[in-house]
Amino acid sequence: MDMVSMGLLAAMGALATVAGASEDIESDVGSQSNPNSQVQLAAQVGHPHRIYNKAVSGEPPSNALYAALAAVTASVLMSGFGMSAFFAIATGAVVAAIFDGIYSVTAYMGRNTSQARFNQYVYLDILRTHTPTIMAHAYITAFCIVSISYIMTASWLPIQHPFPMPLVAFIWGLAIGAIGSSTGDIHYGAEREFQSYPFGAGLNAADSGDIVTKAEAGLRNSIDNAWFCAKYGGPITGMAFGLTVFLDNWRATIFDPATQGGLVILTGIVIVILFNVYNRILETRARKRYGPYPEYVGDIKA
Amino acid sequence: MTFDASTALYIIEIVIGGLLVGIGVHFVPVGGAPAAMAQATGVGTGTVQLAAGSGLTGLLSAGLMMSVTDNIILIVVSGAVGAMIMIDATMIVGNWAYIYGVGVPPSSGKVDYDPITKDPQPPYVSPGTVGHGIPTVSYVSGTIGGLLGGAGGSLIYYALMNINHNPGLSGMFAIGIFVVNAVLASYNIQGTIEGFHDPKFKRVPAAFQACLAASLVIGIIAVLITGGA
Repeated sequence: MDMVSMGLLAAMGALATVAGASEDIESDVGSQSNPNSQVQLAAQVGHPHRIYNKAVSGEPPSNALYAALAAVTASVLMSGFGMSAFFAIATGAVVAAIFDGIYSVTAYMGRNTSQARFNQYVYLDILRTHTPTIMAHAYITAFCIVSISYIMTASWLPIQHPFPMPLVAFIWGLAIGAIGSSTGDIHYGAEREFQSYPFGAGLNAADSGDIVTKAEAGLRNSIDNAWFCAKYGGPITGMAFGLTVFLDNWRATIFDPATQGGLVILTGIVIVILFNVYNRILETRARKRYGPYPEYVGDIKA
Repeated sequence: MTFDASTALYIIEIVIGGLLVGIGVHFVPVGGAPAAMAQATGVGTGTVQLAAGSGLTGLLSAGLMMSVTDNIILIVVSGAVGAMIMIDATMIVGNWAYIYGVGVPPSSGKVDYDPITKDPQPPYVSPGTVGHGIPTVSYVSGTIGGLLGGAGGSLIYYALMNINHNPGLSGMFAIGIFVVNAVLASYNIQGTIEGFHDPKFKRVPAAFQACLAASLVIGIIAVLITGGA
């Protein structure tokens, strides 16, 4: 372990945390991924809305696409045109953001026009204000992921991953999408979309589609949702991706994989065991604090 | 390339890797879209999405390990551990979202008592849902899923690397074979599964047969293509 490697590892962890947060907020502004099912359903059950609706695909494939696009562009600019890494990665992220913008606009217009029979409008002001917000967040995500991939693969830096940079970016893009859709989206789908229901319960299946369409003033839009999710859903997604990138690379930095491979693996196993123990503590504390549901009428005692 | 005993061995390794992925996906607790609304137990995403996210993070660890050693055990275990770290971090933060963001305690809708901790489940399931969050049994099951998925992906990568010695090509084919097996298994699961205690887990033999057939065909094709035939 040398100081440069530790510094780079810290930078990767920080970049991953920012990437995770921006990825989650990008999906929240666009209502991508699983909570989109409720946005899609809302108009059909009598709640037309001003929420952006862009289920381009699941988050992992779309983020893998954006990250790989940015990385391929950056890689070509660096190797073919001799551009400096910083500008090449920034240009690559712009390309990724443009693709995200194109997919978002077509998805929004396609989905909302197909729901015209349910009185769902295409709001041009929503398109005009939300699409740049989505693209900006996609830019940050792509920039951070390609930067992480560059740090892992650049020949003049100490961490030498054998995969080419676009492939590393593709895998991290897939992972960040999987994490974003597994963590931050819950805050958007289970809490923000159904804020009119009491805190502390999952969505009753009978209430599906009854999303909140009114805001503190006027009608709620997706930037209102991003404002809310940026307080909790976004940061925890960043923590999840940051933890993944940091812990996965940390054990290979403090020990040399070539001579201390066993220790690298052992450290990982200890981390996994600690995670499992912590989850049990978390579960026990939550049950103790919240208690059983008062509506429960079964025979099994809490 | 010449087709000899070692080539057959590589194909067998790819098939075993594919089977590990296919079976591993059944361990991953996913609740799909309903879980994102705290309507179902498990992680609020799709089976393939989470399995691929964790398994391929493991592939990065295995790739790094294989650049410094030829020891198959170190490479495969390294991939498994990388995948377990990713899925564990995701599930922990998922539980943070459920507990602190939505205010629901983790509970299973498929069993009355957690098979590991013996904790009662139904009193903690909110009305109109089939559980929420990631209780201990699902968490442990997810960790096992990450282990199998990561090990499977790494084994496929190891076999392909021995054939063509090209990390980029082997990595891309390993991702392809991984995703095929994950998708096959996810058809078997039909959207949601809580882990090894879920009744759907009994469908594993069907996935075993499907993944065996698919991995064998893809294994032969992958070896021929990446070997330069």
